[in-house]
Amino acid sequence: MSAGDVLILNEVSKAYDGRVSMLDRLFGRKAKSLQAVREVSFSIRKGEVMGLVGESGCGKSTIARIAAGLMAPTGGEIGHPGRLRQQMIFQDPFSSLNPRWRVHDIVAEPIRTHGLRPKQEVSARVAELLTQVGLSEADGAKFPQAFSGGQRQRISIARALAGEPDFLILDEPTSALDVSVQAQILDLLRDLQARLNLTSLFITHNLPVVRLMADRIGVVYLGELVELAPTSAIFEHPRHPYTRLLIDAAPDLDAEDRSLHPIPGELPDPSDPPSGCVFRTRCLFATDRCASERPKLRKIGPGEVRCHYDLDLTGRELVA
Amino acid sequence: MTAPLLEVRDLSVTLARGGDELPVLDKVSFDIAPGEVLGVVGESGAGKSMAGVAIIDLLVPPLRRSGGTITLGGERLDLLTPRQMRRVRGKRIGFVFQDPMTSLNPVLTIGRQLTDTMRRHLPLSRNEARERAIAWLTRTGLPNPARVFAAAPHELSGGQRQRVVIALALCAEPDLVIADEPTTALDVSVQAHMLQLLRDLHEETGTAMMLITHDLGVIAKMADRVAVFYAGRLIETARTEMLIARPLHPYTAGLMQATPALDAAGVMRVKAIPGSMPGLGATPPGCAFHPRCNRSRDLCRQVTPPLADAGGHAAACHFPLRQEVA
Amino acid sequence: MKSFLEALRGQPGPIAATAFILLLVLYAFTVPLFTADPFSMAGMSILDAFTPPLWMDGGQTAMPLGADDQGRNLLTAMAYGLRTSIMVGVISVVIGLVLGGALGLISGFVGGRTDALIMRLADVQLAYPALLLAMVIDAIATAVLGRGRSNEMAIAIVIVSIGIAFWVQYARTIRSSVMIERNQEYVAAARVTGRSNTAILVKHILPNVMAPVLVIATINLGIAIITEATLSFLGIGIPATYPSLGSLIRNGNAYLQSGEWWISLWPCLVLVVLVVAVNVLGDHLRDHFNPKIRGRS
Repeated sequence: MSAGDVLILNEVSKAYDGRVSMLDRLFGRKAKSLQAVREVSFSIRKGEVMGLVGESGCGKSTIARIAAGLMAPTGGEIGHPGRLRQQMIFQDPFSSLNPRWRVHDIVAEPIRTHGLRPKQEVSARVAELLTQVGLSEADGAKFPQAFSGGQRQRISIARALAGEPDFLILDEPTSALDVSVQAQILDLLRDLQARLNLTSLFITHNLPVVRLMADRIGVVYLGELVELAPTSAIFEHPRHPYTRLLIDAAPDLDAEDRSLHPIPGELPDPSDPPSGCVFRTRCLFATDRCASERPKLRKIGPGEVRCHYDLDLTGRELVA
Repeated sequence: MTAPLLEVRDLSVTLARGGDELPVLDKVSFDIAPGEVLGVVGESGAGKSMAGVAIIDLLVPPLRRSGGTITLGGERLDLLTPRQMRRVRGKRIGFVFQDPMTSLNPVLTIGRQLTDTMRRHLPLSRNEARERAIAWLTRTGLPNPARVFAAAPHELSGGQRQRVVIALALCAEPDLVIADEPTTALDVSVQAHMLQLLRDLHEETGTAMMLITHDLGVIAKMADRVAVFYAGRLIETARTEMLIARPLHPYTAGLMQATPALDAAGVMRVKAIPGSMPGLGATPPGCAFHPRCNRSRDLCRQVTPPLADAGGHAAACHFPLRQEVA
Repeated sequence: MKSFLEALRGQPGPIAATAFILLLVLYAFTVPLFTADPFSMAGMSILDAFTPPLWMDGGQTAMPLGADDQGRNLLTAMAYGLRTSIMVGVISVVIGLVLGGALGLISGFVGGRTDALIMRLADVQLAYPALLLAMVIDAIATAVLGRGRSNEMAIAIVIVSIGIAFWVQYARTIRSSVMIERNQEYVAAARVTGRSNTAILVKHILPNVMAPVLVIATINLGIAIITEATLSFLGIGIPATYPSLGSLIRNGNAYLQSGEWWISLWPCLVLVVLVVAVNVLGDHLRDHFNPKIRGRS
């Protein structure tokens, strides 16, 4: 842990106990527990944007909720030096704003809660924030229903900034938006990042988006952090086979090369993950060792990887 | 040139709201050749899904088709009775919806749904239908097709269900498959599988396809030709490579730049289009895109540009981008 | 209010129902302002007992609907009775709403054992008909407070009995709404901001779960009025010496056989019109505010 760290996750795990009804228990059925997050460790430095990528159900949103304090981990610990003011921006622009509150009150809530401004200055501050995210002061009098998805995400951003956060968590902030609106929101976030030097955790399933936004990226598969490295290293020299396959799987805009790159196999049942390395059932390089021994997250190059082998995965195609 | 399989001319769809008829689709015309994949791209509300739904006459009030002709293999679909139309759906036009859960009947087994669909449209005995259904499930790459045949939809994963939906759309051997955002609800890795499957089946059966998506990446990989929709209008159409390499309409170019991608120097770039698409009934006069376009002039504000064809590449723009390049 | 008017637009049935309700409320609350209480010595004249309605032999212009056994002008007496019935209905609904609302909020938000306890209590209560329950509460109150109670006390007991008898429906509705709302992202956002549970519950969740219970409250208003009338008719609610629709009907019931039908018929009609109007309005509001029926827009 260095002095510049804003948030440290140390071997954080989250398990859900399966629910078993009274009747099932009578018949001796046991609860199936689900390991949503398994021994995830990383730290975020001041002023840094850390990205987390993975497919749905991989546990990245659970990590976000644990980091935000919305959920307690069942193992490991999270630490933040000093008192931390956090804010979060959510995926769904419709459910993340209280439909019965006016925009002005929504944006003012963090200011009032933390007493960040004297009472008579709150309105001026809200107006300033609304302008900063590309809305107008008059929009404060409206209810969220009057706005489009993109505008609602702007309101969410204004609310988050109102709390003057030391640490900002963004959980799929553009996934529900159309491409052209997504570009506007990404632009806004990048602009604010540059001006306010925010520290943030950016969670998404979209690789081009995370490549655009993050300084460092963690790749999550089946509840485990399988690779963690600076953005350029992740994309130029991926070390984990899953990272490589994930990068290739999304279709790019190249209409000349029409090859598709599906990741072989299907996602295993998360309540019954493979032994050893969780990715081995879909990995082209898997050996007996991968089935018997769980790889540790180890340092390699500028990053860390949870793989037994030093694989060179640079280059275009990864085929069996 | 072969005769088109599907000819859509001046198709208009309106939505009734408070006594007004708001245009959802405004005189859209396009063709699909036999065996061709037409990619239809646009943002939500652009009308791209409406075009697909209007072709198979599944619009529900307050939406209705208010004009235009739809011709499939020489037959005017827009003149058919609802009863005749039911024979066209499934038999001649298959449909793949975005949400695999809602397009499958939750209380019937997969096998029952497949055999029912086939026997409604093809002269098959019960046993033949069963054999074909299992063959279709095998073709879609489902593991253990016999088990899937007997399974209920909820017993399958999302990806498996979407494979079944694709089998359902294709099992009656239609001439045209309309796939509306078939991969949007899926993860990247599953999406690539599904696109591969659609492509394989398309190549095997030779069916034509109308692939509706908001994802330019999917278009780039799958479509022979692209139609770009904006505010209920078709604003550009061309062969895929041509459209992506050299878009004529500023909106198409803007849409491509808004997709985060590496630039020539290997740096990630994204460029937003200012403003937003006009809502229903708020389409500005002239070109619908002019308030967001940095090339717009007085002409754009006054006159709606027609879709002008120039060597197989048509764009509805008074000042298309190529003129500047040339 | 604006959304209420919006809900009525172009709906002749609910508009008529609202008009009837307003008319009856006006009748119930203005007539007593300039007439003597027919249940006091000044309000009855025993000489006019059993005066038939105006169009029958012996009818009087002053008593167009006739008079009862004590010579009370029915037109006036019914206004007093209606006033009591409306007040009992409204106040008992408010009591049920507040009690059920609070328990439902806690149940849905806290969950776990608290939730299980409250919901089992609700299950037990639902095993008894509301009317029976109101009778039991009334009996207990009588046992505790003694028989020699005043009219006001009797009314208060009826109100509380009916209120308690109906809390379950509110609690269940609010609970299920809270369980949906508490997982909405705006609640998570408030939590990340550092709002307390109480603030989240009262300021964020409560405004979002009120609409459906207010609709139920409208429907229950009709049921509460009927329950009061039934209790009074059975003689365990409001005493016959105090005006309510139920006690008027009960009073007249004794004379139905002897031909004085008007004494119980008029209050019955008023009761039916009031309850039907309230139900029509309630049903309409329920459909209007139910997003599933209304469809997305």
